[in-house]
Amino acid sequence: MEIPYVVVIILFCLGMYTIITKKNLIKIVIGFTIVESSLILLLMLVGYKPDGTAPILDKGYEIVVDPIPQALALTTIVIGGSVTAVMLAVVIKIHKRYRTLNIDEIRKLRG
Amino acid sequence: MSRLNERFKKLYKIGLVITFAIFLFFLFYDIHNLDSDGKRYLSEHYISEGVQETGATNLVASVLYDYRAFDTLGEATVILTAATILAFLVPITKATMFGTTFKSIVNQTITLIIPFLAVLGAYLLLFGHLSPGGGFVGGVVLSVIPILLTITYSVDFSEYIFKPAQKKLVENIGAIGFVLLGLLGVFTGSNFLASGQAPFGTGSAGEVFSAGLIPYLNLMIGLKVGAGLAIIFNSLIKEK
Amino acid sequence: MEAAVLVIISPLLTAFFLGISRLYVKKIFFPLVTGSAIIYLYLLILVITNSYPAKVYSIGDWGMLGINLMVDPFSSLFLLIIAILFLPFIIFSMKYTKFIKHDYFIFAYLMIAGISGMVLTADLFNLYVFLEVSSLSSCALSLQKKTDRGIEGTFKYLIMSTLGSFFILLATILTYYLTGTLNMAEIPLAFEDIPFKIKSTIMAFFVFGYALKIGLIPLHAWLPDAYEDSPIPYNVLSSGLVMKSALYALIRILYIMFGIDFLDESGMLTIVVFWGVITFLIAHCLAFQQSNLNRLLAYSSIAQIAYIMIGLFVGTEAGLIAGSFHILNHAIMKGALFLVVGIFNYSLTAVEIEDIKGLGYKFPIISFTFVVASLAIVGLPPFNGFMSKWLIVEAALEADFVYAAFFILVGTFLSLTYYLKVIVTLYTKTEEELLIEEPGLSLKLPTIFLGSLCIVFGIVPSLPLSLMNKIPKFLLDNGEYIRILLGG
Repeated sequence: MEIPYVVVIILFCLGMYTIITKKNLIKIVIGFTIVESSLILLLMLVGYKPDGTAPILDKGYEIVVDPIPQALALTTIVIGGSVTAVMLAVVIKIHKRYRTLNIDEIRKLRG
Repeated sequence: MSRLNERFKKLYKIGLVITFAIFLFFLFYDIHNLDSDGKRYLSEHYISEGVQETGATNLVASVLYDYRAFDTLGEATVILTAATILAFLVPITKATMFGTTFKSIVNQTITLIIPFLAVLGAYLLLFGHLSPGGGFVGGVVLSVIPILLTITYSVDFSEYIFKPAQKKLVENIGAIGFVLLGLLGVFTGSNFLASGQAPFGTGSAGEVFSAGLIPYLNLMIGLKVGAGLAIIFNSLIKEK
Repeated sequence: MEAAVLVIISPLLTAFFLGISRLYVKKIFFPLVTGSAIIYLYLLILVITNSYPAKVYSIGDWGMLGINLMVDPFSSLFLLIIAILFLPFIIFSMKYTKFIKHDYFIFAYLMIAGISGMVLTADLFNLYVFLEVSSLSSCALSLQKKTDRGIEGTFKYLIMSTLGSFFILLATILTYYLTGTLNMAEIPLAFEDIPFKIKSTIMAFFVFGYALKIGLIPLHAWLPDAYEDSPIPYNVLSSGLVMKSALYALIRILYIMFGIDFLDESGMLTIVVFWGVITFLIAHCLAFQQSNLNRLLAYSSIAQIAYIMIGLFVGTEAGLIAGSFHILNHAIMKGALFLVVGIFNYSLTAVEIEDIKGLGYKFPIISFTFVVASLAIVGLPPFNGFMSKWLIVEAALEADFVYAAFFILVGTFLSLTYYLKVIVTLYTKTEEELLIEEPGLSLKLPTIFLGSLCIVFGIVPSLPLSLMNKIPKFLLDNGEYIRILLGG
């Protein structure tokens, strides 16, 4: 078991903890970005090989890391960034309407 | 009593997360101990044959824009959706002021930097199939230009130089261009988004005009991402 | 089979062109939206009629190296639902939306593209990407009214659906780690020698993530909130397609990647059937307390999804046919109900049950459609809901889930109570003079179309069932699917 995996677990659970417990909407969004970055780190680790070089084959390299997780990571970053942007925009709208970011005070819905 | 209750709730949540962490730890431990290296035939194929098959020396670009180009279309759509949502949440006409006055040294430096940024972005876009870079990175670098203008001068000035409508047009043209380039494959008798298989020729790997459609797809994605991020940033700033 | 990829591409292109048309040429808006909806309908019919035997379309001609699309009877069922709902949705929204129209239709087309991508793709990561496309644009649609409640409900929806996406993504990454491939045909072959413990954990992640998106009971809180103040035509597509497409992805992953034997062995079938029973009992009770029509219908949607889950997870051939039939029927019935509520809302901004008092005499045809659709959703003969519910009960009895069959009958009475409450209010005479904006034909026609389909599919159930009889062949035995996808 290598240490990077432990980092992934810690980041994932830290983000989850932030999402579950925090009352501030901005902090919840930060929790989401933490979870997302832990997943990107996991993707990098999946493709990692010891002593591997980046998958750009302009010379003959012996060991090259797996290119697929890197492409997937790029996709994940873009999707995560877009979702975060939308969340922040909605948070700004909520703050404009309710004048608060506390999740307990935002209760017009009955559910 | 209520304080005790609250503390209990907090402890309960912490316990839940720690249990989940331990669970994940054992899962990763088990997975790590499995010998799954023998099953990487797909990535081995990409590494050994990818350069000949797609003509791009940057394997990540060949995966993103050729083998799995459909994913890229999907994520480009996600950015477009996000940019449209933000532009829709914020009315276009009302640009509230966000002006911080900087010393003239900042303003001068920004005007100096911007041409370099444009060249860097164009380089990253056009050489994405040969070296690190590509559509996304190049697009992000290009989008830094309007963002810098917004930060140093104001939203008004930035939107005077790059009008919101123009940015949206560029974004949509990038997306449509991607799809049309994909449809070229259909018209030449192959499948959607085919580049090496369709008779475009992959060229000799390592040159600028090689790798079939990949440079053009890179360019389209770069335009799209650059315009999309600029729209997203300006919309977030404009909201007061 | 070029049409398969065009089904995904053409709504995307329409959305992009709409984006340009909003800026410069506003005149082509109407012909663009309706024209592409009709072309899209033609493409869908082309794909559905060619869906058997199943076909594979390889994007970029890469074969096993790239992404493949696969058309089989189960995916063509979803394309059929899009074909039935999409044109009525477009016609209805043209008149209904009083706010900015361009954005609304851009998001609608993006959502349809995402859903059709989810339905057709045979690649695990591509599934995730299209899931994000559909859920993000779905959030955007529920945000359209920009009211306080709408924004608050959308935020909840966004949070929950992103949380679900993370678990799905985690499971996808771990699957790639274990198997080294993302192709749905190669994963089950590589999964065979993975230990039981790891496999079941990954399955649990998938089930949790998708259950958040579907809205099963402890994870349902976002759904009624997101429905409460969103444009009502969107609710038609949401309950008919967005929730169902997550269900589709779950079924696809569980049945193809893990296989029915593993589901049986790990006890997943029993768990999901039990979960379904709990879900619909609670959802019916919660629906009974609601006074808002949108929320009532949202809770009813949760309950109906639970019926579908029971049907699909009893693990027999009859169950799969019954579940898929109920997917189609629920989309039609809930579509008709929401459209009727949409007309009431359009004419006199009614959203509470109190507001629709006495409307049965003002809108005789529309109210009759409501009665037909609600009786169908309760499950009374001779409507279509009865047929599929009966098939689900039969399948549950056959597979020895006697308690599920019994509770479905109990649930029928529970749902009858609250739908009767609405119908009685609808036909209660009042003396009040109501200011009514007359709904045009473009609002009435889609509603009546969906309402009449309830009766047609109830009287001639063999019409859709002829398509669905082929579904179990590709789901119960994943060997068939794998063989076709691998090109054997």
